[in-house]
Amino acid sequence: MTRRPLRVLAPDDTVRRISRRLFLSGLAAAGSSAALAACGAGDAIAPSLDPDGEMESQLNVYTWGEYDDPDVIDAFSARHGVRVQMDNFGSNEEMMAKLGAARGTSGYDIIVPTGIYIPMMAERGLLQPLDHGLLPNLRNLSPAIADQDWDPGNEYSVCKAWGTTGYVYDRTVITRPMTSWEDFLLAAQDEASGSTTVLEDPWEVCAIWLAAQGEDVNTDDPELLQLCEDALVDSLAPHLRAFVSTATTGVVQGSFALIQAYNGDARQALMETGEPERWEFVFPTPTANLWMDNWCIAAGTQHPDAAYAFIDAMLDPEAAFAQMDYVGYDTGVVGLRERAEQEELDFPEIVFPDQEILDRLTASEYNDGMEKRVIAYDRLVAESGAA
Amino acid sequence: MRLSRRIFGTAALSFPTWAYVLFFFILPVALVVWYSFGYKPDAFTTHAMDQLSFDRYAEVMQPTFLSTFLATLRISVVGTVLCLLIGVPFAYWLAVKVRPERRMLLLALVLVPFWTNFLVRTLGWQIILAPEGFLSGMLQSIGLLGGPLDILYTRTAVQIGVVYNYLPLMILPLFVAMDRAGATLREASRDLGAGRWRTLFQVTLPMAMPGIASGCLLVFIPLMGDYVTASVLGGAQGSMVGQLVASQFNTAQNWALGSAMAVVLIIFTLAAVALAAGLGLLARWAFQRYHRIDVTADDAPDSAGADVGGTAITTEGASR
Repeated sequence: MTRRPLRVLAPDDTVRRISRRLFLSGLAAAGSSAALAACGAGDAIAPSLDPDGEMESQLNVYTWGEYDDPDVIDAFSARHGVRVQMDNFGSNEEMMAKLGAARGTSGYDIIVPTGIYIPMMAERGLLQPLDHGLLPNLRNLSPAIADQDWDPGNEYSVCKAWGTTGYVYDRTVITRPMTSWEDFLLAAQDEASGSTTVLEDPWEVCAIWLAAQGEDVNTDDPELLQLCEDALVDSLAPHLRAFVSTATTGVVQGSFALIQAYNGDARQALMETGEPERWEFVFPTPTANLWMDNWCIAAGTQHPDAAYAFIDAMLDPEAAFAQMDYVGYDTGVVGLRERAEQEELDFPEIVFPDQEILDRLTASEYNDGMEKRVIAYDRLVAESGAA
Repeated sequence: MRLSRRIFGTAALSFPTWAYVLFFFILPVALVVWYSFGYKPDAFTTHAMDQLSFDRYAEVMQPTFLSTFLATLRISVVGTVLCLLIGVPFAYWLAVKVRPERRMLLLALVLVPFWTNFLVRTLGWQIILAPEGFLSGMLQSIGLLGGPLDILYTRTAVQIGVVYNYLPLMILPLFVAMDRAGATLREASRDLGAGRWRTLFQVTLPMAMPGIASGCLLVFIPLMGDYVTASVLGGAQGSMVGQLVASQFNTAQNWALGSAMAVVLIIFTLAAVALAAGLGLLARWAFQRYHRIDVTADDAPDSAGADVGGTAITTEGASR
């Protein structure tokens, strides 16, 4: 929750335009239909500047909080003489709504959407197709990570980081071996009752039950999702302590015994706790989410040369390694795992799941079942509060 | 001439007042109400107003929202009562018992933490209440607790945080009201034969009534809309309506539904305040009536009757 700061869109002229638009909506509220007409200004997206080989002095990046190594960013700034302005968002919805409202005038050059949202953003014309000729380091990207279903041929995006979902448990509380989502649900109702947390994410929470039942985690079958909702409310709600998106605080404070978590966050938590042997991270069977966040260039960019230089710099093996070490997620650049093992990085097995685990992961999809998942999640939140 | 006087005369002088009310109250609230009749057309738009409907209100009035609202109401009422129970003795002590030259220092002790960032203060409680925090360790080592402190991410934690965060808003108006009652009135009460407790209940507290009322409003109303405390200290069980509104605006980017929730929250809060005010007036009316009867029943002998009558007048004077 606290990771969702409200930011004002940069640069200044955009801010003025936006607040004027809001003001016009205000007039519309007073009944002025003329102002209402001025408010809906069509669907055109402001044109991007073309790269001309001359580096601009400014780059505006809109990304998730605490997602980049400041040293890497500083090194890029120093090398190219580009001032990098980083702004944060807390959800894809937040980022998309801002870009959608600004229609290319947001001022952001680089954005970092999650893969499944890329098709709809591209369809809206909010993303600038990438010129691979300006990204020589693209060859460093692992073939397994490149060319995903939601962006064939990396037309709009380049992997920033990818990860999966699992759970961390306290071995002093849960002593039996844990391997699956079914184990998660059983332990939540038993030893970890009242000290279990799940992610603040409807897809991930529904996936716990769907995976445990061996169902398709991306299902859009309303009846199955209704069963899922009822089962979660009946069997999980009374045992939940909280909905937490970052594992670290929970592990360090010792508040929870069973924590649904992304692998990189779980590693961060294990690194920060004084007793790493007390905690264990599980890649649960039969499946879990495989998600990917991606560098994209926003349509309407005013700093295209700096944007290409930035993405290319992030694909450099040195920068990629530093980024991976900082956030705890693989950046998809080849050779990181070997180097991580060589340099005895903490918990490489959590950052780089084995091929056997990779093979069973499922990439989440944004489909018609999403609305039902949100309803199920909201009810779970309300019911666990009523207990 | 009348019109020009109205434009360039007193109305112009009061520009700051009406501009403040217009731009910082009427327009924002009108916007929220207006948005609440809209809908969210797609993932890229926060709201659209081309089809107006009450559908968002139907979405709000689900059991999910109502149960969270009841939990919020409970936290707010309990929080206000606890603030009052702590605030009244403290303000009384500060206004009546403390030597005037020390008063400023003590007031500063109340105010300085209040100037600190709200979020930082709340995060501070997260550290204090953590099962592996120092409070937990201390209580365990002196044997008051068998296991680690199990409060964080419960409704109790939210309740503690809320009382801490809003206490200054209760103490300040109470202090001002009790201070205004003045030493002279208390002295007069004593001269007329009232003891300490009687002076407290029949002079000081009735005089402080406006302060108590404004303190309760200042605590209760922001508390109903609070979402920081619940987000930081509450887990599954401590959620409040403010969080639902915030998540519609920030995470889901559904301004229409968020606005409808905000409007319902405003209406429900006003209803709760109106109900409380009504009950308060009723209680006062009953109290005064009871007292009048008491006075007439007691009116037999000479000097005692004058004493009681005098107090009754004071009570009435204070309540005005």
